[in-house]
Amino acid sequence: MNNTIKKALSPVASLRLTVALFAAAMVLILAGTIAQKYQGNWAVVDEYFRSLWLMMPIGIAGLKVPFIGGYSICILMLVNLIAAHAVRFKIQWKPGKILQAFINLFPTHSGRGKFTWKSIATILLFFSLWPFLLWHAIIPWKRAGIITTHVGLILLLTGELVTGLFAVEWQMPIDEGHSANYAHDIREVELAIVDPSPEGHDNVVIVPQSVLADHKDGAGGAAIQNELLPFDIQVIDWMPNAQLQGPMSAEPQRWENNPATKGMGTMALATQIPTATGVEGGRVDAPAVYMKLIHNGQPLGTWLAPLHGIGMGDTRQPVTVGDKTYLIELRFKRDYKPYTLHLIDFKHDKFVGTQVARNFSSEVRLTDPANHTDRTVLIYMNHPLRYRGETFYQSGYFGETRTILQVVRNPGWLLPYAACALVSLGLILHFGVMLSKFVSRTRR
Amino acid sequence: MNKPVKIIPIVAVLLSLIVIARPVMPKHDSGLYDLDTLARLPVSAGGRTKPLDTVARNSLMIVSDRQTATLDGKRRPAIRWLIDLVARPHEAGKYEVFRVDHPDVKSLIGAVNSDQKRFSFDHIFEHRQALSQQSALIENVERKNMTVYQRQLSELFSHVNVYTSLRDWHTPYAVPPLAQGEDWRPLVQDLRAPHPEHEGHEAHPEPSAAAKRLGYILMAYQNQEPDRFNSELADYATMLDQQMPDITRKARFEVFFNQLQPFYQGTVLYVLAFLLVCGSLLTAGLKGSVISTAFARATVAVLVVTFILHTFGLAARVYMQGYAPVTNLYSSAVFLGWFCVAMGLFLEWLFKNGMGAALSAVIGFVTLIIAHNLADGDTMNMMQAVLDSNFWLSTHVITVTIGYSATFLAGFLGIAYILMGVYTPSLTSERNKTLAKMMYGVIAFALLFSFVGTVLGGIWADQSWGRFWGWDPKENGAVLIVLMNALILHARWGGMVKARGVAVLAVFGNIVTAWSWFGTNMLGVGLHSYGFMDSAVMWMLLFVATQLAVMTAGMIPLSRWRSTTQ
Repeated sequence: MNNTIKKALSPVASLRLTVALFAAAMVLILAGTIAQKYQGNWAVVDEYFRSLWLMMPIGIAGLKVPFIGGYSICILMLVNLIAAHAVRFKIQWKPGKILQAFINLFPTHSGRGKFTWKSIATILLFFSLWPFLLWHAIIPWKRAGIITTHVGLILLLTGELVTGLFAVEWQMPIDEGHSANYAHDIREVELAIVDPSPEGHDNVVIVPQSVLADHKDGAGGAAIQNELLPFDIQVIDWMPNAQLQGPMSAEPQRWENNPATKGMGTMALATQIPTATGVEGGRVDAPAVYMKLIHNGQPLGTWLAPLHGIGMGDTRQPVTVGDKTYLIELRFKRDYKPYTLHLIDFKHDKFVGTQVARNFSSEVRLTDPANHTDRTVLIYMNHPLRYRGETFYQSGYFGETRTILQVVRNPGWLLPYAACALVSLGLILHFGVMLSKFVSRTRR
Repeated sequence: MNKPVKIIPIVAVLLSLIVIARPVMPKHDSGLYDLDTLARLPVSAGGRTKPLDTVARNSLMIVSDRQTATLDGKRRPAIRWLIDLVARPHEAGKYEVFRVDHPDVKSLIGAVNSDQKRFSFDHIFEHRQALSQQSALIENVERKNMTVYQRQLSELFSHVNVYTSLRDWHTPYAVPPLAQGEDWRPLVQDLRAPHPEHEGHEAHPEPSAAAKRLGYILMAYQNQEPDRFNSELADYATMLDQQMPDITRKARFEVFFNQLQPFYQGTVLYVLAFLLVCGSLLTAGLKGSVISTAFARATVAVLVVTFILHTFGLAARVYMQGYAPVTNLYSSAVFLGWFCVAMGLFLEWLFKNGMGAALSAVIGFVTLIIAHNLADGDTMNMMQAVLDSNFWLSTHVITVTIGYSATFLAGFLGIAYILMGVYTPSLTSERNKTLAKMMYGVIAFALLFSFVGTVLGGIWADQSWGRFWGWDPKENGAVLIVLMNALILHARWGGMVKARGVAVLAVFGNIVTAWSWFGTNMLGVGLHSYGFMDSAVMWMLLFVATQLAVMTAGMIPLSRWRSTTQ
């Protein structure tokens, strides 16, 4: 490599920068861990680890100092690492050395061409390890371990990036004896307008959460209009997390201003409450929406639609337009699958005489006609089902008969495995070479 | 001339063997009742089948913080206390078993300014009115918000619960599953306890055969008929031997393990090894260092014996529990110490300079003391579903713990380096070199294992809930150790530090490891927390303070060091 480029790179490639970045990462992780005591887990992750910089509290009089964030540290580490290898990289091409080592392994004392079990084993070893030997032909042993380790680290960081960008998590609750062909996202909802009149199926129109939230303008805002919708929807109020109160518990003056005129909203009031911090704690936001439905310029009434299936149970409500009846339902955003899972049996065992869960397991029948698949699988702790790029984990349960499966699609899921293998191999190689040198020196 | 070289190690090993064998020697006075057979009866508690002896010892450990019970000023074995409690509950009320430390709680039960530490059930029952008033006050206070007084009080209540549930036959699950489709169940389900509080309790209409036999045994004990007790007990034990041979074999082994107390004896022997190492160092200056060599050999001999005992203890736990050796904080301490001793012995074999041996003795001793203080009740509890996987327990958990061990060993080498250099003239340039090599090698090893262990943890998480990395405090702690080790190695490769700098940084590694091992549990958040530890916070702070002090000493200019290494 050009010497001027090397010189220019050397400050970026310095080991001092490496050490400083390690120290900064340690401070950041420690501060983040302590912050998790006071804030939700994922809020901390976003603020500390998935950020370029942040204001870090130092624990004295509420003072905060600017500090470098997790993304910045990762980027700098990558730059530092690549620059360091660019500066110090030396390539060799010594295939003869490998060949010589290979030939040396053959027994020479007993004459020519005598194949023993030992030589056969050597050949087998040679052919199974050839990528490594090739690697060794290019990289000197002294650096092979370090380079392998660092390639593994780059892979690990890439894997985390891919996960952060592309991984999606869904949930799939199934009741015993029932089937599910969709998973839902417990962090996002949608408004479904269902026309149950056709034989054998329903016609469903979906209004996404973002559209509902965007149209929250009070009574004067623009209505949501679409030719597929049987009516226009004017969002009176959108609450990202709401609590329902009955007539006895809500304040009287709020009852007087109840926006709802039809459906369950006439019997319950929705009140906005703060959104949950951290999904890890199991708390889930339960949004609610007040909406006025308009047909051909004529208002049909104002409905309250709280989240279906959580807390309030069934909150689907009928809306009649002319001679047709639709069902409106605010539900978790669904992702329909080309396959079906049928829950045959859910088991939840405890250790005798304790409340300690011993095992959860879901016996499901997986049917996918397009793929000619029809089989029974057992999903349990540490034994997920992988199918069509998605992974189904035994995540939780509700009562004795409903299982909750976590469905994850993560295109980068294999990267950490490869990274782990590479780094381990690299470290073993590097320290192994060091140790063998050290031992042979002390032996002498 | 060579006599001490042979005699001292032989004497030391013999002494160690006596220490080990003494507790399992048969006792002469075993009393009228065959309590040995009783101790071996298998029951089920906490989801695991174990001998009655373990139940008795663990319950006493919980309420009394020791494995014996005091009656009329005399210490009685745990099993004696247990049979008294279940068969003669009124008389058992006089055993002084409830440990109370807080002065305000003591005054609540009428023991103002008293030195007494343990109180009888009868004594506590007398003051039930004051206690139940206080109990109502703290009923809705969350544990983490409690004051020390409130916490001690709530502990006392939970101890009373442990006591009464044993007395009233709710625990352990003593009736064995002899018929198809049965499971272990508490005796109270089949028979009614003889306690007046249990009048009106609906007993099983037709008790099972096994429950009846247990009832006869208890009745014989209650009526003070030793012969009948012994014959009923022998019959019952023989029947179990025939019906569930595997379980009774394991139970017998566990009683042996309980009596041997390998980790307790191990603590004693590590002290012995440490004294021998000190002897070796102190006599090193003497003319013709035969004595010093003899002590050095004795140290290694005692350490090897102790290491075998330690290994046996670990293996026995694996056999009894059916899990890989590390399942909770207690077992992690035992394993960490074991691995440090193994590495220390390896270093001793490689360098033969007494450093490895001395550190083995110190770390072995300290970790077993820590383990002893972490033991609360059964240390072989069952793992909840997500952790119930021997594959991951034996890969991720073991590798990570090995990473902890190696980081600690490097840190202790750093402490030895600094203390020897600053306060003694013994850090010769030769020692300086070897210690630097030892630290470097151990840190490299630590990096390998802490990294692999941490990533394996991520892979386990990916397998069980589809998330490779969750930023859980324990995961963060593990990464801190990886970063610390990587930092030391890169600083050395970059020439930023030499032996002394590596030593100071390695001591800081001790703080990082202690944080990851214990500190994150003190935060009380995260999936990995094993439980809240109260006084541990104090010890943790003390440990951090000492490490900082050693680091400061290490940073004193070399001209002030008593050893001149350059």
